[in-house]
Amino acid sequence: MASEIETGTKYIPEMSKKEIEELGSSIKAASIKVIQENIERMKKTWHNRPKEMEYFDEISNFFGRREKEIREQKEAGKKVIGYSCMFAPIEFILAAGAIPVRVGSGWYDAAKLGDRIMPVEVCPVIRSTAGAKMINLSPYLELSDVIINPLTCDGRTKLSEILSDFKPVWYMTPPRVKDDPQSLSLWKEEMQEIRGKIEELTGTKITKNNLRSSIEVMQKATKAFRRLQDLRKGPPVITGRDAMLVNQTSLWDDIERWTQKTNELCDELEKRVEQKNWACPPDTSRVMVTGTPMLWPDSWKVPNLIEESNPQGVLVVDELCSGDRILYDPVGVDEWTMSDMFDAVSERYLMASTCPCFTSEHGNEDRVNWLLNRIKEYKVDGVIYYVVRGCILYAMEYARIKRILDRMGIPVYYLDTEYTREDVGQMKTRIEAFLEMLEARIDI
Amino acid sequence: MTISAGIDMGTQRVKVVIMKDHQILCRTQNFSGFEPTKAAEQAFEEALLKANLSRQDVQHVTATGSGVEMAPFADSTVSMMGADAQAGAYFFSSARTVIDVGAEEARAVNCNEKGVLVDFVVNARCAAGAGTFIEAMARALEVELEDMGSLSLKAERASPINASCVIFAESDVVSLIHREEPKTEIARAIFDAMAERVSSMVYRLGINPGIVLVGGVAKDVGFVASLKRRLGMELLIPEEPMFAGAVGAALIAAERARRRQQ
Repeated sequence: MASEIETGTKYIPEMSKKEIEELGSSIKAASIKVIQENIERMKKTWHNRPKEMEYFDEISNFFGRREKEIREQKEAGKKVIGYSCMFAPIEFILAAGAIPVRVGSGWYDAAKLGDRIMPVEVCPVIRSTAGAKMINLSPYLELSDVIINPLTCDGRTKLSEILSDFKPVWYMTPPRVKDDPQSLSLWKEEMQEIRGKIEELTGTKITKNNLRSSIEVMQKATKAFRRLQDLRKGPPVITGRDAMLVNQTSLWDDIERWTQKTNELCDELEKRVEQKNWACPPDTSRVMVTGTPMLWPDSWKVPNLIEESNPQGVLVVDELCSGDRILYDPVGVDEWTMSDMFDAVSERYLMASTCPCFTSEHGNEDRVNWLLNRIKEYKVDGVIYYVVRGCILYAMEYARIKRILDRMGIPVYYLDTEYTREDVGQMKTRIEAFLEMLEARIDI
Repeated sequence: MTISAGIDMGTQRVKVVIMKDHQILCRTQNFSGFEPTKAAEQAFEEALLKANLSRQDVQHVTATGSGVEMAPFADSTVSMMGADAQAGAYFFSSARTVIDVGAEEARAVNCNEKGVLVDFVVNARCAAGAGTFIEAMARALEVELEDMGSLSLKAERASPINASCVIFAESDVVSLIHREEPKTEIARAIFDAMAERVSSMVYRLGINPGIVLVGGVAKDVGFVASLKRRLGMELLIPEEPMFAGAVGAALIAAERARRRQQ
């Protein structure tokens, strides 16, 4: 018997229009509430929050101003390119006049829907992204003409298949070893292919001129980001959650406007440094988080607990692809020729990444070095190693990183959680114990 | 002279310890029940009575435990991990690792010579590493909880069971009963499974010689034997290990009372 797979077979089971609408609107309403609550909690910790944060509060609403803008620009003929992780070359997307938006999901309720097609062992970021798609929850995912999905971990690899039930998905395969001789050339081929696809979708050629200006736009964003980061190296002039919110909104905001607003925020913060007007007492324990991306809005759970804890902690830096990794590395161009620019963009996305998807016999050295440098620069007192269940790559790197940090006398705590609100009590107990420990160590 | 008290609001029992200048004056306990605050008040009153003290004599009360927010009279709080570290170093000066196995949760902490917490791990996701597991299994075997330990010591080997989860383990135990495996061997398997979970948690933290075992389960001879075998090390067990959290809290209370006087 001829075995022929029915080509129309989909991952996602049929759902009635009524169910999709009902679940969609209830989860959307819950999400709007979580966004408002998070902002209220941030204001409560930082009584004297600067007025400039209001802009980022507004952009943080998935169902507001930014959604409307993208929708209008799309209707006017612009293409929207969604991407699931930080290997997608933003400079190419901008050069071709398209709108880049990151589409990974931080909705806890959507993860429960993902459970209908995936076992709970699968990382909840993946379950939630698929679940969000099932009920058309994410405006940015819905508005995307295409999704760029880099195959960094097993979850994302299979997520491509699921999302391709709905829209075109472009795969990118980053090499798993950075410093093999063929790695960069393989990666450049991936980049060349994605560039061709972007040009075809948008009908716009990526030229020397438009690529140069998009690189310059992103370099300016990096400059603004680094200005904000430098302010976090001293006594806390901004809470960690506010800085995280600023950084994360860059994933879907108009990047030029974001750069301007971030610079305006920095102007205010620099004034506050002169006035010694701190966001929390200068002796507050300085915490770094690393691990699974903490996606707005529900995954603010742990940052909220850290900064609201008694004793209090303040997040001064992170190693998250949803945070300080987004804009840290600029594209470094020597000569503004097409081939130089193309190479520089390719190298920036591969070589500068500290994603745990990379391996080598010496371990993931770039990530370890990033952590160690930041611990020193930001005078970190302790590290929260945040892993959601099923995030194998981060979970597996922990043992080695703990040993390295132990040897340096830097306390690190492995905080494993899920896309759920039910474990807040447990998380609180553990975070408080960790911060109490940091405080006790400082006392001695 | 400093008189201090520690209240440990555990999931099953509340424990109260009153100390005078680092000496334990008395210990009392009560079931947490539906009204843990009331239960703690009662235990506290009883402790005052036993120590022949009035409420005003106690200079500082520190609360700990999973129900810490429900603690009455608390002047301050401390985490369960911080309390364990203090208690471990108080009972044994050589203590560097303290394992606390309570009703619902097992945890391990590392401390320095002063009893200051320096690292910890928690096994909270799964009840197979905590005391309620023994209770559930005793029910399945139809033996008294107190007899489980001595029963397991009579076994020459352990039956194989899945200890990833209480529910799975219980169904495994039922099938072992159906296969007419001796109760002694099943009991031993239950403690081995628990010890396996607790020891892998301790290995993640890093093993230091001078391991103290506290918490209600430290009184169970079956579990203690299994954990010793798994870790290949002797365990230091204080008198009344269930009160370790309350002792740690009382020590911290004394320290805080002294600081306030200064």
